[in-house]
Amino acid sequence: MSKLNLCVVAMLATLSMNGHCEDYRSGERRVGQGGRPGEAQAAEWRAKRGYPEGKADAADAAATPPVSAAEHRHGGAPAAASGAPAISGKHEEGAHSGGRPGGMRSGGAVWLSDSPPMRGDGSRSGSARGGGMGGMDMGGGRGGPPMKRLWPRVGNDPQKSGFAREDAEAATEIMLVSPGKSEGEPLKMPAENHAGLAFEMPAQGYYRVYLTNRKLQGDKLSISVAKAEVANFGHGGDEEEQARAMLAPRFLESAPIEIVRERQPGEKQFFQLKSGDEQAYLVLQKGLPLQGARVRFVSHQGWSKEAVSDEQGRVVFQVIRDYYPQWSEFQKRFKAACLVIAEAEAAESGSYKDQSYSSVRYQATLSGSYQPSPDDYMSYAWGLGIGLLIVLFCGVAVYLYRRRRVKPFQELRFNESK
Amino acid sequence: MKASNTRLQAVRDAVNRVDLKNFRFWFQIVAFVLFVYGGYFAIDLGSRLPFFSCGYNDEGRAGICYLLPLQHQLSQPWPRLFSLASIAILTGFLTFTLWFIVLNKGWCGYICPLGTIQDWITALRRRIGIRYSTYSESQFEQLTKVKYLLLALMILIPLGVGGGLFSHDVSPPFCLICPARMVLPAFTGDVSQFTIDFSSKTAMVMTALGIAVTALFLVGSFVRKRFFCFFCPMSALHYLLSKPALLKLKKDGNKCTRCGDCYRVCDMGIKEIADDVTTVNIMTDDCTMCLKCVSSCPENGTLKATFAGIPIFESTEEGFIKRMGKGLQHGK
Repeated sequence: MSKLNLCVVAMLATLSMNGHCEDYRSGERRVGQGGRPGEAQAAEWRAKRGYPEGKADAADAAATPPVSAAEHRHGGAPAAASGAPAISGKHEEGAHSGGRPGGMRSGGAVWLSDSPPMRGDGSRSGSARGGGMGGMDMGGGRGGPPMKRLWPRVGNDPQKSGFAREDAEAATEIMLVSPGKSEGEPLKMPAENHAGLAFEMPAQGYYRVYLTNRKLQGDKLSISVAKAEVANFGHGGDEEEQARAMLAPRFLESAPIEIVRERQPGEKQFFQLKSGDEQAYLVLQKGLPLQGARVRFVSHQGWSKEAVSDEQGRVVFQVIRDYYPQWSEFQKRFKAACLVIAEAEAAESGSYKDQSYSSVRYQATLSGSYQPSPDDYMSYAWGLGIGLLIVLFCGVAVYLYRRRRVKPFQELRFNESK
Repeated sequence: MKASNTRLQAVRDAVNRVDLKNFRFWFQIVAFVLFVYGGYFAIDLGSRLPFFSCGYNDEGRAGICYLLPLQHQLSQPWPRLFSLASIAILTGFLTFTLWFIVLNKGWCGYICPLGTIQDWITALRRRIGIRYSTYSESQFEQLTKVKYLLLALMILIPLGVGGGLFSHDVSPPFCLICPARMVLPAFTGDVSQFTIDFSSKTAMVMTALGIAVTALFLVGSFVRKRFFCFFCPMSALHYLLSKPALLKLKKDGNKCTRCGDCYRVCDMGIKEIADDVTTVNIMTDDCTMCLKCVSSCPENGTLKATFAGIPIFESTEEGFIKRMGKGLQHGK
């Protein structure tokens, strides 16, 4: 492994661990947002990709969409994209068409979901019923290791996406990367889409599934990587194994493109993203940050926001609140699915299946989930109010009880003369 | 040989003369800092601790009270609970037992942060000059059973949750009503537990109950020493496992004059400590093993704390007189 790669691995491990990284050149530390790599580091990345100096910047400028103000469909937490030069907000109108990479027949991005389309989303996490990208409840056989099932789906709206159908013209590859391993192992494509991709999770840590599609469309090669990250942690078990799993890098060096969810500061095993949280994502290409990728965050209701990755391949989105049921139907563990889609084009030439191409279109997806913010259903005012009321009531009651039991002083006189 | 015996006896005499009140005060402070702020120093003693080192104290805890993982494990779906996964429950229970048998109920009297807070509230009351309350004998008899009821509910409700009989909002049931969940995180500036959860009726009731119990804890501890320990299911669990414990409280009934000093200093108001002159292992289910009874006993060797059968602290007339601050004028 080259020195450069070691540097990037160290940086990503640090990000994974604490959600922050060091600017090695200046020694400045950023937490959660904003930092920039040193010039030397950026130059190294460019050299690694084979860009001449300045070319990447020009390409990025061309790829950068115009800046527009963020829009909100709902009155919840405001959406923002910090650390990214361009932002826009809109509502997804079903699946996009045209220009999407091949591999799956219908339009829209291919992504991996932990629920099939007919079952719907928003199941509870934390129980055998639910399952979850970030949960540990995956059922499993009696006494066996937990199982997880993922379904390849296609579309840009988490709720409206249907099953992804296999495309005979596209080459599909599915890899499962287990905790502590740097390389993946092939995973069998299900015979039927409804069956989903099933795998066992004997170890604690993050399991990652990569579904890669390659398809030649004219002189353009389309490469799409759908990724899902499944956390498997238990309350018992080997604590050292858990700690190791929390520190391990969560990217695949051989992945042509992928999105990595940056860990929140102080994040623990049972982390769950909430509405209102800011979440950073890294877009990586072969393990290196990809600048200038258009990254879109699509919420459960289909609201989306777009940003462009910075020099560190980083974008930040604030998760909006888009769960407004009747209060009687409110579930605090409502698991809303979200989708992050990154796209980039590169003027790379080569040949694929004996046919030459002059450009490559990359697309990466990462599915996830978020729950309602505790601020939506927890009240300090009521808590403190009830507490103070009981303290006052009990205090007064004890005082009055004791006062009632005080016997008035009675002088007792003995007449000794008698 | 003779010299070493003399030295050992000198050490024993020094220990028996120790100012226990002072020793316990500082010991409790050190334990409190360790288990409420130890997490900031990367101390982690696991999740099987036999006292209230609250798991909700995310940042500061140096370990987790066993009742939290126990309730989590019991609320697993039944097919998983009654599979090989139950080995994790058994190993967890074994680890808890190993921790417990070292200090027996000494964990309550010397280590438990919630017990320490109650002692501090008692000290505040004493300083203000407000008298404390006691239970009558019949009240004592009735209330002492509450801890066993809470222990039973603490086991049965999670099992019901795992079996789909109850909502997940009642789990972990005891932690939701335990005052440690609110009080201990507050010492690290985390007051997030002082909230009512309106997401469902069950959650609303449970969080309101938790707030109510915490309010009662604060008032109750102010008027009665170790108010909450009387109802603590951990105390009940301790007592059920106390037979093989290494630390024991023993009494020699033949030397007891039934003066009642031990009963008067007992924070829990255990009458048997003075009245029972036949039982050797005198520790009862309400005892916190604070050893105040030993330090207040004026009779040589009547009450003693032993560790693995070796006396480590016993009542002596000399120690009693020194602790009472009377000097040795009677002996001279």
